[in-house]
Amino acid sequence: MAARNGFLKPIVVAMGVLALAPAAQAQTRAETLRQLTGNNINTLDPSMPGATREAFGVSTSTYDRLVAFDRKLENGVWVFDRTKIRGELAESYQVSADGLTITFKLRDAKWHDGSPVTADDVKWSLDRAVSAKSLSAGQLGTGSLTKPEQFKVVDAKTFEVSLPKPDRLALANLATPLAPIINSKLAKKHATAEDAWAQEWMKTNTAGSGAYVIESFKPGEQIILRRNENWTGGREGRLPYFKRIIEQTIPEAATRANLIEKGDADIAIDLQAGDLPALQSRGKVKVDSTPQSNGFTMIAFNTRMPPFDNIKVRQAVAAALPYEAMFSAAIFKRGLPMFGASWSEVPNGTFPQPMPVKTDLEKAKRLLAEAGHGNGLKTTFTINVGSAAITEPMAVLMKEALAKVGIDMEIQKLPDAQMSTAVAEKKLAFFTEGSSAWLPTTDYFFRTFFSGEQRWNYSSWNNSTIADLTTQARYELDPEKYEEMSKRMIEEYLKELPLIMLWQANQDAVMTPKLDGYTYWFHRQVDFRDLARR
Amino acid sequence: MRSARAIIIRVGERLLSSLPALLGVLVVTFVLMRVLPGDPAVFFASGPNAGQAEIDNLRQRMGLDQPLFVQLMHYLRDVGTGNLGNSLTTGQPVLTDLRQRLPASLELTFTAFTLAVIIAIPLGIAAAMRPNSLIDHGVRFVCTLGVCVPTFVSGLILIFVFYYILGVAPDPTGRLDIFVSAPPSVTSFMLVDFLIAGDLEGWMAAAKQLILPSATMALFVIAPLARITRASMLGVLSSDFVRTARAVGLSSVKINIVYALRNAMLPVLTIAGIMFSTMLGANVLVEKVFSWPGVGSYALDALLSSDYAPVQGFVLLMACIFVIINLVIDVLYGIADPRISVA
Repeated sequence: MAARNGFLKPIVVAMGVLALAPAAQAQTRAETLRQLTGNNINTLDPSMPGATREAFGVSTSTYDRLVAFDRKLENGVWVFDRTKIRGELAESYQVSADGLTITFKLRDAKWHDGSPVTADDVKWSLDRAVSAKSLSAGQLGTGSLTKPEQFKVVDAKTFEVSLPKPDRLALANLATPLAPIINSKLAKKHATAEDAWAQEWMKTNTAGSGAYVIESFKPGEQIILRRNENWTGGREGRLPYFKRIIEQTIPEAATRANLIEKGDADIAIDLQAGDLPALQSRGKVKVDSTPQSNGFTMIAFNTRMPPFDNIKVRQAVAAALPYEAMFSAAIFKRGLPMFGASWSEVPNGTFPQPMPVKTDLEKAKRLLAEAGHGNGLKTTFTINVGSAAITEPMAVLMKEALAKVGIDMEIQKLPDAQMSTAVAEKKLAFFTEGSSAWLPTTDYFFRTFFSGEQRWNYSSWNNSTIADLTTQARYELDPEKYEEMSKRMIEEYLKELPLIMLWQANQDAVMTPKLDGYTYWFHRQVDFRDLARR
Repeated sequence: MRSARAIIIRVGERLLSSLPALLGVLVVTFVLMRVLPGDPAVFFASGPNAGQAEIDNLRQRMGLDQPLFVQLMHYLRDVGTGNLGNSLTTGQPVLTDLRQRLPASLELTFTAFTLAVIIAIPLGIAAAMRPNSLIDHGVRFVCTLGVCVPTFVSGLILIFVFYYILGVAPDPTGRLDIFVSAPPSVTSFMLVDFLIAGDLEGWMAAAKQLILPSATMALFVIAPLARITRASMLGVLSSDFVRTARAVGLSSVKINIVYALRNAMLPVLTIAGIMFSTMLGANVLVEKVFSWPGVGSYALDALLSSDYAPVQGFVLLMACIFVIINLVIDVLYGIADPRISVA
């Protein structure tokens, strides 16, 4: 018996190990979220020039900001609510009656290294945001946050922001990924004479208080996060569900789809629109679709370049486009159309909203004749190689439709970097692009996309009415007056038609059926803190 | 002993004489990247107010505001001191990126290449021994198929069958299953590191990840290797010395393996060397399909976003590897044919 025992012992132990191993692994798998993306995470500091969108997404979990947007349920899917702002690192905040001072009361939070978060840290972080050469300065400037003098430490837990004018977007800007609050004592240790704001060090290290801590980071491959058990900045102070997050770069969209269907990965938000109907019909995944309410796909005219400097030519093209066909060929109708509205008076001040443009070939021909192009004209339409799956079918349909009214359109395809260079240098006459604004208020949209010399003024539109209205609306605290100004901006846009809004494509989040809580955020990334497994 | 020393001296001479070529490659890539339209500063300036100021700031930071010649001098100085610049795409120094990614590419290419050689050379020999027989036609068919199907198609098919339908392959996401912990990095070759760490389970996991991508790559190169082996074998088998050997009644094994194969290997070696370097750098598609963190996809991503430093670093690396491989091939030449020396 004894001998037998000795002989069996290793086998019994081995069996025990075998039985235990899968169970242990399954448990960690259940508590781990695995997201797949086609893009890179290239930095841990979201303010680094060149930071990718995925990098912004990760930073929302590793850093806290003073405040955060709330979320609301819309057609069964959570979406961000820009009208409600709650405290995140701040326990509460108060805006003075004249809108010039915002006072924040900080909560008793701890940095990842265990030391307490103080108002001094907040000041250093915001000083860095407006002073260092980074993406933050440009973003925060849109909320009149431009100088360190605007930030004041009242006491260890009280912090004050003062504004030169009551900017409507000052507070909202502090909720964006470009206003992270940084552990200043830690960061300062890594600052050097040439790099006073520790920008080099923060690319590969974090000094935050966020819901997750970096466990490992391989740029271009994957990032692994571990839950910060001391985090208190969540809704009702709750900890996020997942203990571990893996975000992995998988360049091939079909592979991403396969992995999620098999249940080996949990979520992806960048699958190909064309694959989704088949994925949905097989029923192994859950798809949360939301129109990107703060984005748009559009066709831009260069309003400073003939023939599109003539309003009538722009209107003619707008009347000739086959909107419905483009909508189904390019994105399989997965989105919200921005064409085909039937109003003649602007119904409300929201922008983007569906515009009263529709296909009317007769009108297009008449307008072209009026513009002096009765014999037709030649033009080149530029699309981006990176988005060719969507834009190429669109361009082909346009070419066909425009030929009917006598416009000979040539299609030019440019690699991504070349295209952005040409757009920034305002060299393209006629092209398509998609873009989004983090803070989707009408004046912000018009300021960013329809005025000034910056790259996002795709149509190089220069309109004094718009310039006046955007500067006024920005500081207008009366909602009714603001609404009135917004409507006037939309009227002006419709009159001159610097570009044609086509649609808001869906953000399709494809996930395993048991995943819950996905939220569409303005930065168009997954916020890991929202998700849970049922 | 003397011949070993002679080889070392000659290798050194060869390496020295390749320096001007490397310098040329460096300068040409440098100029080419800057002549191509597409401005990295514009591409990476993506703030909401990405105006001229922001673009100029980035340009200045990257040194792009300097005249081309000054930029080139700075770059050459940097390369001379072992600094290949920084990648904007990954946010890391290019040297670090390449050091992490080259082993991944090498490991995959070595495996695929070995697989291809093991399959292709016997196939080629078999086809040559019985020209126009069923075996020959069979080999020809397999080869045509291998060349006709592009690697990304065969890769996706393999994934679909072995991962999605049969579920026998691990998920095609890089060098190691995400839930297996990586071994302490010694050589950066997963298989070697796992052996050093004595972790056989991990070794199996890493090996499993390698099977599908290396099979995909091998499928593509089996054809040229098998074809060239066949052609070269046919040529040698009909030559005078083989006929003489047959006439004096040597055994067929001795004739075919010792005399014919050894002589037939020269062109195969040349092709194999070229194939290996091409596989290493040009297998972007396989790397993309299997999310393999190799140098090819790294360079392509950088090229698409006009990120100068990684592309230049990649080309330089490939040029160096090409020099080394050519050298190795030449040494092997000497072994296959004693009349040829390394010079």
